[in-house]
Amino acid sequence: MIMEDFKYIGKSVPRIDAADKASGKIKYMSDLNFPGMLFGKILRAKYPHALIKKIDTSQAKALPGVVAVVTWEDVPGLNGFGIVTPDQPVLCKDKVRYIGDAVAAIAAETKELAEKALTLIDVEYEPLPVVDDPIKAIQSDSPKVHDDGNIHLHTKVVRGDVRKAFEEADLVIEHIYCTGEQEHAFLEIETGIARIEEDDILTIYAGSQYPQRDQMQLSRCLALNPCKIRVVSYPVGGAFGGKDELTIQPILGLLVLKTKRPVKMVMTREESVISYWKRHPMIMKYKTGVKKDGTLVANKVIIYADTGAYASLGGPVVNLAIEHACGPYKLSNVDIEGYCIYTNNGVSGAFRGFGVPETAFAIETQMDIIAEKLGINPIELRKKNALQKGDIAPVGNKLTTSVGTVAVLDGISKTKLWKEREKYLVKNTKKPWIKRGFGFALTYQGTGLGVGLPDYGGAILRFCENGGFEVGVGLVDYGQGIGTSYAQIAAEMMKCPIDKIKVVLGDTALTADSGPTSASRGLYLGGKATIIAAEKMMTVLKEKTSEMLKVSVDNLDAENGYICMKNQPEKKISYEEIAAQFMKETDHLPETEGYFLMPLADMKVENAFGLPHHIFAFSAHLALVEVNTLTGQTKVLKGAEVIDAGDVINRQGLEAQSEGGFVMGMGYGLFENMIIEKGIFKTTNFSTYIIPSAEDIPSDIETVTVTDPEETGPYRAKGVAETVMCATAPAITNAIYNAVGLRIFKLPATSELVYTLLEKKEEKCNESTN
Amino acid sequence: MKKISFILNGEKRNAYVEPNDLLVDVLREKLGMHSIKYACGRGDCGACTILLNGKGVRSCIILAIEVDGQEILTLEGLSENKLTSLQESFIDHSSFQCGFCAPGMIMSATELLNKNPNPTEEEVKEGLSGNLCRCTGYTPIIEAVLDVEKKDVDKK
Repeated sequence: MIMEDFKYIGKSVPRIDAADKASGKIKYMSDLNFPGMLFGKILRAKYPHALIKKIDTSQAKALPGVVAVVTWEDVPGLNGFGIVTPDQPVLCKDKVRYIGDAVAAIAAETKELAEKALTLIDVEYEPLPVVDDPIKAIQSDSPKVHDDGNIHLHTKVVRGDVRKAFEEADLVIEHIYCTGEQEHAFLEIETGIARIEEDDILTIYAGSQYPQRDQMQLSRCLALNPCKIRVVSYPVGGAFGGKDELTIQPILGLLVLKTKRPVKMVMTREESVISYWKRHPMIMKYKTGVKKDGTLVANKVIIYADTGAYASLGGPVVNLAIEHACGPYKLSNVDIEGYCIYTNNGVSGAFRGFGVPETAFAIETQMDIIAEKLGINPIELRKKNALQKGDIAPVGNKLTTSVGTVAVLDGISKTKLWKEREKYLVKNTKKPWIKRGFGFALTYQGTGLGVGLPDYGGAILRFCENGGFEVGVGLVDYGQGIGTSYAQIAAEMMKCPIDKIKVVLGDTALTADSGPTSASRGLYLGGKATIIAAEKMMTVLKEKTSEMLKVSVDNLDAENGYICMKNQPEKKISYEEIAAQFMKETDHLPETEGYFLMPLADMKVENAFGLPHHIFAFSAHLALVEVNTLTGQTKVLKGAEVIDAGDVINRQGLEAQSEGGFVMGMGYGLFENMIIEKGIFKTTNFSTYIIPSAEDIPSDIETVTVTDPEETGPYRAKGVAETVMCATAPAITNAIYNAVGLRIFKLPATSELVYTLLEKKEEKCNESTN
Repeated sequence: MKKISFILNGEKRNAYVEPNDLLVDVLREKLGMHSIKYACGRGDCGACTILLNGKGVRSCIILAIEVDGQEILTLEGLSENKLTSLQESFIDHSSFQCGFCAPGMIMSATELLNKNPNPTEEEVKEGLSGNLCRCTGYTPIIEAVLDVEKKDVDKK
């Protein structure tokens, strides 16, 4: 297959939603208002860990303008939600487990009245000791967050003989790595509006990543037939994993059912921060054994992940961290275990990378240390151990799909940054306290949900009267650009201009269930399903044309919006005419559906959610940094990513992912960390939780693609939404080492941390010279 | 309730507001200016940026009552007739992912270009440093702003 043969695939097609976004015409769920709507507010817990003794809502109910006050007693169905384990109450009954736990909710005529009413709810608590340290939390004498203990999940993967391998190793490197709690910081806060629509259907408009699963969870909580619930969750102002789980939806639904009126709910930034999901902070103990020649022989890893008060996707996050703990390297002796631990520190859940940025930081620092100690070029060290097609991955599955490890490592030398790094690394003689350094790191990321979980893509293709097509996929475009990719794929498949394709996403009433928009799976699965639906549609169009022209289907071809005769291309019928014919004959237009099941790995890891994966995207991240040794501040001057995305569907879209991922990874590496003390959040807004601004970014972020086509993928493509951010942090910390000789074992590498470490280093130096 | 009058996107508009009503709420909820986004509520992120008498301000930290007699421009007004070169440049550079920061970003960039039609990269970064974007990493936004001048020259 040669890319040049395509009209849309592989081209930099502008986003289909760009004009509406540029003009401000696009309406997000938070922009919707309905006549007669009420305003909803949630009463959050007063303590991070406490028993509820009494909830008295009488005063709030008596306030004029308050239409409903709901507590756990009003939840008609299961008072619990959670993607894996529904252990989080919609409204708490007898215990609160984190400061964002919902205790009661109000619907009132105005926002102000709702806020006032919150203050009138009297909740009597008995505070409990706060569980805020995950390591202490798993000791037997720790207070329990949940009755059955603080370990939500423990997974252990053992292969080969680690003990023997360590004995035979020439070098063993042991370190403990800690990573910060990253906030998604999407700009559109969790907000939504809901009402009862025609046929008594409870319709919820709220940004999310999987409307069909929301519908299922809501039906469970609200004891409502799922047919009576519609979830619309597109467009969304950013998600990054933070809208995978339910947020405000169950309470919104409850208030609508209670009041029979539309209800709108708008979180504040502060409420969003304390109430919803974050990246798991992890403590990771690494012990890696290697031979003199650089061959990795053993890796022992223990991961402690703080999942906060409820499970959500904590288990799968820890499992993905385990699967990727060894990096994309050959290792036949491994002992990797992970604990997913309940605490009262907010809630952790899905976040772009899903456990991989954490372990990538650890293993890529280990690799950098090993390369230096053994005097081996760090690229060569990685190449020597690189997983390749046909190899057994560390957790035991055979890699039979595309594996771009070596291609990505070779691609490093193609970047401008690599070629010119020596030039950039010249000493700053005017300001000798400013030191520059270069670093890189390698990573990979599994696509899809993994073995044991239902993993499929679905698409509906509707033929339209104008001879165009509407693609309906349940996945959500919250910025990645999958909508544009589906339009490209549909236009290419249907041989029609792209402006004849309309894409509908994230709506339970209009789109096919295509699984969650997560796990770098949107392009791959939604794309495959669109292809299948389009193949069926093409058959339908050709069959109709064959009737109309009275020729065999085999003699027909499609070209630029026409079905034509293969030998006489001038003999043709436009799609519009075919549509008219359908309307004339049957008064409706055909629609087709495509479903595609994710190919799976050849084995299953026990006591785990979705391990292992079968298809992986690979990337190398490069960083040139400048460290100010007087302040400890690190500035990333230049960045680059080398990405194996299979064949690229949309070059512009891929670069956008790469640049955005790099900067998000930079924030994770240098300054983002949610500070929580005794269960109380200290950094609840953008004044205190700092994300990168335009002034923080490198002057250049280069994207180089190396292609290892994935034969099973849509036009041989793979998803890259996560891998693009996974190894930015270790690339930066390896560059810091290169600049000032400091190993960073804790993220983020804030100015304070670097400054303190530099001071200690100086002290040590002075001690040894004295 | 107090009646205030101001010029909104070139038209005289009246609104009845409470003294504690925020400008962002009045513009969004009472006057339908939904391009303005609420995202932090304390002037940190820039998503609610509008031009007040030509100057970029955060409508989430301004009381509605303060704009009595003044002139407001929102993204709706900017692109009433047709997209500006800046907006076209945003489209060409695919400067959006989720797009939620775009209205504020475009208003801040409009102010910047009004003051300084030929900014350097550093000036663009500084000019947009009060507008947060979580998706793009800013590069396509900065490129779009830098490219506007070139576009306008090309057109001439």
